[in-house]
Amino acid sequence: MDISKYIELVFTDYTLRTITLGTAILGAITGMLGSFAVLRKQSLLGDAISHAALPGIAIAFLITGAKDTNTLLIGALVSGLIGTFWIKNIVTKTHLKSDTALGLILSVFFGFGMLLLTFIQKQPNANQAGLDKYLFGQAATLVESDVWMMAIVTGICLMVMLTFWKEFKILLFDADYTKTLGFNTKTIDILITVFIVLAIVLGLQTVGVVLMSAMLLAPAAAARQWTNSLAKMVFLAAVFGAFSGVFGTAISASQNNLSTGPVIVLVASVFVGFSFIFSPSRGLLFKQIRVIKNRRDLELHKTLAFMYHIAETHENTSHPHKIKLLNNFHGYTKSTLQKLVDKNYVKINGSMWSLTETGFETAANLYTKQETEDE
Amino acid sequence: MRNESKEDIKPSTASERVFAVKVDDLTVAYNYKPVLWDIDLEIPEGVLMAIVGPNGAGKSTLIKSILGILKPIAGSVTIYGKPYEKQRRLVAYVPQKGSVDWDFPTTALDVVMMGTYGSLGWIKRPGQKEKKASLEALEKVGMLPFKNRQISQLSGGQQQRIFLARALVQNASIYFMDEPFQGVDATTEIAIINILKELRRAGKTVIVVHHDLQTVPEYFDWVTFLNVKKIATGPVKDIFNDDNLTKTYGINYQVSIQE
Amino acid sequence: MNSAQLEIQIIASLVAIACAIPGTFLVLRKMAMISDAISHAILPGIVIGFFITQDLNSPVLILLAALTGIITVVLVEYIQKTGLVKEDTAIGLVFPALFSIGVIMIAKNANDVHLDVDAVLLGELAFAPFDRLLIGGTDVGPKSLWVVGSILLITITLLILFFKELKVSTFDKGLTASLGFSPAVIHYGLMSVSSVTTVGAFDAVGAILVVALMIAPAASAYLLTTDLKKMLILAISFGVFSAIFGYWVAHCLDASIAGSITTILGVVFLLVYLFAPSKGIIAVMYREKQQRTEVSLLTFLLHLKNHDEVEERHVNHLYEHINWQKVRAKSVLDLAQKNNMIHMDNQVVSLTKKGDEFTSKAINYIITNEDAQIEDMKDDFFLFRG
Ligand SMILES: Nc1ncnc2c1ncn2[C@@H]1O[C@H](COP(=O)(O)OP(=O)(O)OP(=O)(O)O)[C@@H](O)[C@H]1O
Ligand SMILES: [Mg+2]
Repeated sequence: MDISKYIELVFTDYTLRTITLGTAILGAITGMLGSFAVLRKQSLLGDAISHAALPGIAIAFLITGAKDTNTLLIGALVSGLIGTFWIKNIVTKTHLKSDTALGLILSVFFGFGMLLLTFIQKQPNANQAGLDKYLFGQAATLVESDVWMMAIVTGICLMVMLTFWKEFKILLFDADYTKTLGFNTKTIDILITVFIVLAIVLGLQTVGVVLMSAMLLAPAAAARQWTNSLAKMVFLAAVFGAFSGVFGTAISASQNNLSTGPVIVLVASVFVGFSFIFSPSRGLLFKQIRVIKNRRDLELHKTLAFMYHIAETHENTSHPHKIKLLNNFHGYTKSTLQKLVDKNYVKINGSMWSLTETGFETAANLYTKQETEDE
Repeated sequence: MRNESKEDIKPSTASERVFAVKVDDLTVAYNYKPVLWDIDLEIPEGVLMAIVGPNGAGKSTLIKSILGILKPIAGSVTIYGKPYEKQRRLVAYVPQKGSVDWDFPTTALDVVMMGTYGSLGWIKRPGQKEKKASLEALEKVGMLPFKNRQISQLSGGQQQRIFLARALVQNASIYFMDEPFQGVDATTEIAIINILKELRRAGKTVIVVHHDLQTVPEYFDWVTFLNVKKIATGPVKDIFNDDNLTKTYGINYQVSIQE
Repeated sequence: MNSAQLEIQIIASLVAIACAIPGTFLVLRKMAMISDAISHAILPGIVIGFFITQDLNSPVLILLAALTGIITVVLVEYIQKTGLVKEDTAIGLVFPALFSIGVIMIAKNANDVHLDVDAVLLGELAFAPFDRLLIGGTDVGPKSLWVVGSILLITITLLILFFKELKVSTFDKGLTASLGFSPAVIHYGLMSVSSVTTVGAFDAVGAILVVALMIAPAASAYLLTTDLKKMLILAISFGVFSAIFGYWVAHCLDASIAGSITTILGVVFLLVYLFAPSKGIIAVMYREKQQRTEVSLLTFLLHLKNHDEVEERHVNHLYEHINWQKVRAKSVLDLAQKNNMIHMDNQVVSLTKKGDEFTSKAINYIITNEDAQIEDMKDDFFLFRG
């Protein structure tokens, strides 16, 4: 299927439009809230919460027998919160570390959820079809009301975030200080946590419990690389998340039997990889280039400094000296000498070199600069 | 408006003296392990005070419990005669440097502006006035050229100055600073201490956790020795002696202080 | 019980033992989430290995997939080192990406690969007895029994050979280097064993439930003992118990065996978590209550020692200055009197000789940072505890 045709379909086809809109909104809200999770050093809590939600879905189904999303998601919400609470309790009340608590709760809750799911599947009368989708997500099952639900939650979340922006920001940066200023940090804290859990639960149908945490982390981690402002980071994360949703949907819709979750996660991961490498200020590529360039500059400077020392011994600083002399200097190569000539710091005349006036000044400056820096 | 209310709190001719900070029988514990025991402390207004004591003595803990960050198991704290909750606006705090995430996406100016959040209260955003005050504070600590830097791209001393500026912008009466000289070069140390002395001249009370005993007599006029218990508190010239140092730092502590 | 059932239980028990051993060290080294990452990230390795070997139990596949596990660890550590994101974020970024690749590979080759997503998550323990290993035409047992058995054998051999090194490096990294063996070798050794075990167990219990078998028994054991050997034995016992009991629960419910084993692991942890003698939360809460009163008592005694003034020692002062509620103040006062630490004279409290001695000792211990001694001292001095 070619791209223009696909785009046309997105606008005309009801199902595709719903799905695209749904995944875009979902990506935006998880990206936004994920930024907070990442900055609070709670990256893996999302993973635990999403896994912990699974038994809730199964129990909600067992109790009500209903298949409608909202009932099941309420079950997910409750068991996700129980998992979160239990993790916090384990960490505060016992000597077990947070990584153990996270791994324990996520695997045990998930295992219990799977037990219930397989149990449900074997029930003869259960219209069990559809619970599987919560494992890896099936965007195709999104209907308009689901999208409305997501839009409303996102809207509320956005409003709360804008209202309490200042408070969120200062709490994330410096919790103790926030307390001394008289803000009730518990309230802000609970607000953020509840929204994160809510975003995770909203995404279960589309991305699934197994991979939901990546939706939280990946857009935020990518966004962090491009900016040093919290507002821009949150905005960018929302954009990256939304794009991951849209592209992921497009790819999985154009292929047979591909769950949406893994594809969306993979697209988001590509954003992350790209950002890690190509971000201008923090990216690995530019960092490497800078390192190499610095090393070159350093070599050049050292050579120049060495020449400066020789030139200094003579009254006339642009007096020519033998090139051979430079061989005493460890870092000297022909190409560095050529570069210095290109920069018009040095003149070469046969087997002799001399510093130009600019060359001498630069070298002198280099010295004073280094001395003040060392101080 | 704030000045008026401050006048009420500090009667100049009161019969009973009102201290800037008064700590009564304060005991603080982490997980029921006491780290501060029965501390009584009275800090008069307008002093520049050092809190000294070995690592783990409970200096940070003392400041945190005065500021209500930690809940003590016993005792009470008053600021100008009233509980801390009512007097927050009078107090500014510079935390120990390691306590925040320096890779947080925010700029130096942003961090300083956070000092204004307390007086703004909930929801209201900082505006031009707050920005102007923050820029002035940055200027004062000599960090104006760095205002748009991401904070992790500042040196340790520069980060410390940013924290100081954030406290300055709070425009408080009492300043608590937890090791503001940590990882700071000599020039910055002098710059900071000059700012602190200026604050004292303006009638503010400044309380500093300090590790370099050699400089105590030069920088401070008041000192508190702390090691789980309060060992001594008072004017530097009266109580800063080998006897108290030994009591605080252990049996064989020897530091000869030259005047 | 027929022979297939017996075989399933044996396989499950062996898997549990093989997981509990590296799991114990992962928990002690605060690396539990790494096992989660490995268990997800090996999926593409398994799929590729399957393309090559066409046999889920082939040793080549196991090594290939284990290699993916090591690559994951290296990748996570590399990202952590770049400092671009916080440490745990690195884990959270790497494994979903690799797992997604695995799932997509399975979906795209659904016709060629005899693997499905359910098997990835839950394993196929129930079918394990049907895949027999034939040597020279004779049936020597289920293949996965041999696979898991070999892995377990290797793990136990390594454990016995390097027990001392593992122990030292787990509890004191600095010492390890000074004793002349590299912490990095032990680290990657442990990671390799974890990866191989995960791959081997994967076929039986699935990706996520491997994590439960690694972490839950170790976490439960951790709450019961501080001795490494005892912890290993306890973790293994919890694992084996859950494996066998879990099998029968699944049998009764006609549900997933792996899910059921995990659930039992969870129940075991819950029970230990509640009732462990000194680290369980009921014990912790009881002790906290006791300590709260006793610390208050100490505080009170110290206050008496610090102050000679009568008004500071008046009963009413307790309510005002020390800032306690009446009930609390009264219970502290009662406890002090019951233990003969104080006597009251006209509403003014003073220390008895015993109280004075006790207080001096307590302060001494706290200042010299030996506050563990206070607990022993309490036994000597207290007739009644808080
Ligand atoms: N969050 C905490 N939980 C448990 N114990 C703590 C905690 N914070 C501090 N402690 C303990 O309380 C004691 C006092 O710590 P505090 O940080 O107040 O010392 P300090 O005097 O500021 O030391 P430093 O000079 O190293 O900053 C120490 O023994 C420390 O181990
Ligand atoms: Mg401190």
